[in-house]
Amino acid sequence: MKKQNRFKIVAASIMLLGGMVFLVFAMTRSTSMRHFTPALLVADASSADKQQVQIDGLIAEGSSKWDAANFVLTFAIRDRESDASVNVIYKDQLKPDNFTDGGSVFVEGEYDASQNLVVATKLMTKCASKYDGAESAVPTDETSYNSSK
Amino acid sequence: MTAEIGQAAIFLSVLSCLWAIAFLSVGLRTRNPHAIQSGRNAVIATFILISISTGALIYGFLTDDFSMRYVEEVSSAAQPLLYKITALWGAMSGSLLFWLWLLTVGGAIVVWQNYQRNKQMPDTLADYSLIPIAIVQLFFTILVTGLIEGIYNPLARFPNGQVAVDGQGMNTLLQTPLMAIHPPTLYIGWISLTIPFAFAVGALASGRIGSGWILRSRRWMLFSWIILTIGITLGGNWAYQELGWGGYWAWDPVENASFMPWLLGTAYLHSVMIQEKRNMLKLWNILLITLAFQFTLLGTFITRSGIITSVHAFGGSGIGGYFLSFILASTAGVIGLIIYRWNRLKSANRLESLLSRESAFLLNNWLLVGLTLIILWGTLWPIISEAINGEKSSVPEAFFNKVVIIPGLLLLFLTGAGPIISWKKITANNFRRMFLFPLIIGLIGGALTWGFLALIGYTFPLYSVLCSFAAVFVFAAIFAEFYRGAKLRAKRQETSFVNGLNLLIQRNKRRYGGYIIHIGIVILYIGIMGSKGYFLLESKSMTLGESMEVGKYKLTMIDSFEKEYANYLRSGVIFDVAKNGKRIGTMEPALHAYYGAKPDEEPTKEPAIHHVGMNDLYVALANVPRNIKTGGVVNVQAYYNPLIGIVWIGVAVMVLGGIVAIAEKSDRSRDAR
Repeated sequence: MKKQNRFKIVAASIMLLGGMVFLVFAMTRSTSMRHFTPALLVADASSADKQQVQIDGLIAEGSSKWDAANFVLTFAIRDRESDASVNVIYKDQLKPDNFTDGGSVFVEGEYDASQNLVVATKLMTKCASKYDGAESAVPTDETSYNSSK
Repeated sequence: MTAEIGQAAIFLSVLSCLWAIAFLSVGLRTRNPHAIQSGRNAVIATFILISISTGALIYGFLTDDFSMRYVEEVSSAAQPLLYKITALWGAMSGSLLFWLWLLTVGGAIVVWQNYQRNKQMPDTLADYSLIPIAIVQLFFTILVTGLIEGIYNPLARFPNGQVAVDGQGMNTLLQTPLMAIHPPTLYIGWISLTIPFAFAVGALASGRIGSGWILRSRRWMLFSWIILTIGITLGGNWAYQELGWGGYWAWDPVENASFMPWLLGTAYLHSVMIQEKRNMLKLWNILLITLAFQFTLLGTFITRSGIITSVHAFGGSGIGGYFLSFILASTAGVIGLIIYRWNRLKSANRLESLLSRESAFLLNNWLLVGLTLIILWGTLWPIISEAINGEKSSVPEAFFNKVVIIPGLLLLFLTGAGPIISWKKITANNFRRMFLFPLIIGLIGGALTWGFLALIGYTFPLYSVLCSFAAVFVFAAIFAEFYRGAKLRAKRQETSFVNGLNLLIQRNKRRYGGYIIHIGIVILYIGIMGSKGYFLLESKSMTLGESMEVGKYKLTMIDSFEKEYANYLRSGVIFDVAKNGKRIGTMEPALHAYYGAKPDEEPTKEPAIHHVGMNDLYVALANVPRNIKTGGVVNVQAYYNPLIGIVWIGVAVMVLGGIVAIAEKSDRSRDAR
């Protein structure tokens, strides 16, 4: 094999690899969202102001209000271990399945520190799959989404 | 009593796995046929033992034995028969047992195939490969013994003779026929990947690193690929029909976990052809199949360990650590064998040119492995980011959608370029003869797409234009291949063109089956482009008599209904659907309230889907108020999903191509060493 060919092949591979790595890093930087529990977010509110965040917690009892006429869901997401909570507004979407007081919820959206409010773009409740918690002779509510511990 | 027998069988199969590993290793080293036979028998014994435990668990479901913990967890007396059986994989312990059982079926088939083959041609490759199979079986057997913290024995009873009055029952969302077959399909796909991996390890251990192991495991690999393709699609289809968010793929960690082994398996199916034709990439193929196998375990690790937040909401269960340890240990074992066999793994040939079929294959491999790593990166980003700066972050669906486009389009182009580019080095003649026509047609296709999209208001849809160009190019390239080949055959055999085409495929099922898969891929891409790129969504709160518009369609809510079924209450509304003012049918989206549902389970959404050619109208409801007849407000989401029907057709064509390719029995005649 000619030397020149080998050079071409190596150069092409490096270009391809470099391009892919660059793409991945650029996209990660531009889309990555920090992950919080309500307590951590409240404690670190100023640094997360106007940023995209993810919050994982429980639907605070009695806090949710569903304005069916305008498709606006508002509620507070509270911490699993403390009283801290963050307000959430979720607009122009259906209220998801399994949305009940005290249930696990996962929210993505932009945080506004001055109002302690997240404008949610995505909202997930405890899901479908029953694989949660192998040892679940106890009810399964506490076992899902325990990723932040 | 049956449960106790089942438990005993699991413990005994720990012994039979150890027996198989020990007797096969010693027998193969000392060339002792009796010891080898004993090892094979032990593999069969494991299969019988695990079948007994699985049978005992199913018996528990059928007899509603709520003294058994697992039965209580996932079944209930009122659960329909089908879902009592599928409850076997309804939660973790049972699905591990089911996984193990499938693996023992695989082991038994390998023994049987080897027995058939040995009658003609004795050889030890399959016996060597039984050792890694038994090791993986041992791992899963230990997991289900109940001795491991975090997983109880699926046949265990409640302590102190407690008996629950009724079971908790399976989650109602999973009680659909699609969900009854989706998980086992994926499992079968993953587990059949274990066999080619075992053959690779067997090849390393025995020192026979030619193409023998690849040919012997070729049909296993294709089988796995076909089943995984079906399984992944069933999952997407289920999500589309049941979850009510109008889509079929969301880059959820669990979806990714099923997709990554598929990508690696696809890469492997291509790279082995280079080894067969040019005797290159021996080491790469072994690494690739090892990686594909490890990713099936990694998927389980990701989804079961609770380290990643997912819609599937898996809890932390301690099992992740065992999977990770096994992944690391088995990878270390393979690397050890590779070092041991290093001298035999060198390639005889090298790449000669950047523009050749070899490098097209290589680029395909780089892209598929690259995509896998990108998806892995995105999936594990919560862990990676925490390790880097102590703060957990994650990337949304948009990250994946954006980052896969360019490698995805390159792959699409290769789908057509790979089959027509010449080996070793492209020539001017090859380019003129094979490339010119498809490229021109492709450019025309791209331009037409651009024109069409511009007409309906999209000014510069770059990716769609590139996708259409590549898709049309691939179509033209592959059809030209079929046409040329069929015409040549017809001429030689002096028969009709259709007969020629038939002969062409019959004589080389693997190659032309592969081309059919490529056509399926193109169709799939067009479907994804349409449905992901151009869907419309409208939300509205409405009362009876009101209407809403999505695209050219007008939906008028004319009535509501309520109907009782065996295990749920169906309530919904009826829409009159009109296109451009002309009535084309009705849609009946609904909610199902299951009678056995737990208090925290709300009614499930049952969207209505109306097919208009390849496009779908899709309507989901958030609620159906009690007072709907007297002015109650219903919250409606309506989607227009263009070309989504093509997604399913594309996959069907891929599966068809896979079935054609797997029909070729080339593995006996050409058993190169």
